[in-house]
Amino acid sequence: MFFESKSCFQRLSQESHSELMTDRKDQISELVEDARAGNRMAADQLVSLFHEDIFRMVYYRTSSRMDAEDLTQDIFVQMFKNLRSLKDAGRFRAWLFRIALNRIRDFYRKKSVMAFWGTTVEFDDTDHSDAVPHETPADKLIMEKEFLNQLNQFTDKLSKMEREVFILRFIDHLGIREIADTLKKGESTIKTHLYRALKKFRQTPGIHDLLKGT
Amino acid sequence: MKTESVHLNEDQLICAVVDESDLTVAVRNHLFACPACQNEKQQFEQELKILGHMAEKFVPLHRKAVSSLPERQGFWKNVFLSPVKWPRFAAGLTVILLMVGIWGSPQFETGYEEEIVQTAWESDEDQQMTTDIRVLEGYTLPEFYLDVSGETYGYFDEEFLEFVAPLEENQIHSEVIITDSVA
Repeated sequence: MFFESKSCFQRLSQESHSELMTDRKDQISELVEDARAGNRMAADQLVSLFHEDIFRMVYYRTSSRMDAEDLTQDIFVQMFKNLRSLKDAGRFRAWLFRIALNRIRDFYRKKSVMAFWGTTVEFDDTDHSDAVPHETPADKLIMEKEFLNQLNQFTDKLSKMEREVFILRFIDHLGIREIADTLKKGESTIKTHLYRALKKFRQTPGIHDLLKGT
Repeated sequence: MKTESVHLNEDQLICAVVDESDLTVAVRNHLFACPACQNEKQQFEQELKILGHMAEKFVPLHRKAVSSLPERQGFWKNVFLSPVKWPRFAAGLTVILLMVGIWGSPQFETGYEEEIVQTAWESDEDQQMTTDIRVLEGYTLPEFYLDVSGETYGYFDEEFLEFVAPLEENQIHSEVIITDSVA
């Protein structure tokens, strides 16, 4: 009886969650269509809906707030410029993340060229002290550093593709299909990489202890 | 009933977290019925959720306002504010200066009159060369050998030679003329 009611509750919550997701998708699709038609308000609404996600995504790939801010701005400008080329408005999120990934790749390419010519300007690549406001308590700062340290230690063990898929799934909260669309790979390939990444995650004690300790 | 006794192993647990629908029907049924396996799966998923929450929590504040419109910057401001554009700008400027320098050099200052003079001088040179070639065709041997072969005695023309040593045909002809005149 208990299990039946529990599974019933789970099913109900899953259904309501999927309904919410569908509503949100429909809303995004409408905004995309309006923005395509040249509606600035709709474009700005899309920016306000996604700018946190994109900023977070870029921040965890550049480790620099300043670079993440500039890149986020670039990504939304690119989004607005290329909105007409988006075929399916329902896949807007994956499309936006693909633009973001391409911009990050360009950023690293430029950075490597500048490093070759000796003109690299290092701002705050390793210093995360500006990541939180000044009123942040010291223990939060320590925790943040510890988290980033453990996350970096874990992601260093992953291959490029495993790392990308893992971060897109659990930090950027994309679904398997969205990741497949973003990386232009098959769903089964994404699942394989995710499986390998999770296996390595289970074998990494540091990050487990940190997550269990919270 | 057998499925209830065999709990999910590590690989199946990971597989369930990746996508539950990829599990075999028997394993899925077991997971659906077994609270211990469900608990383990939920713990694993919870851990990953916490990871996501922490990642959200530790992202710094976004200080700049984001817009879908590009920032309008003047060209010079754009160049000098972005260190990425300095080398490009310097390279472009160097190329332009080089081109201006090359085109402005005296070598490239060729007027129409200068071109005519140049062409006339070249045609004179060509004519001289043609003459030399013709001379060489007539006298292919060096002067010393021309002396040996008698080729250099060009001043003995045919009339003089005929006078000194007339041809046999001409001798007969002259005899006939003499005889005719005597008769």
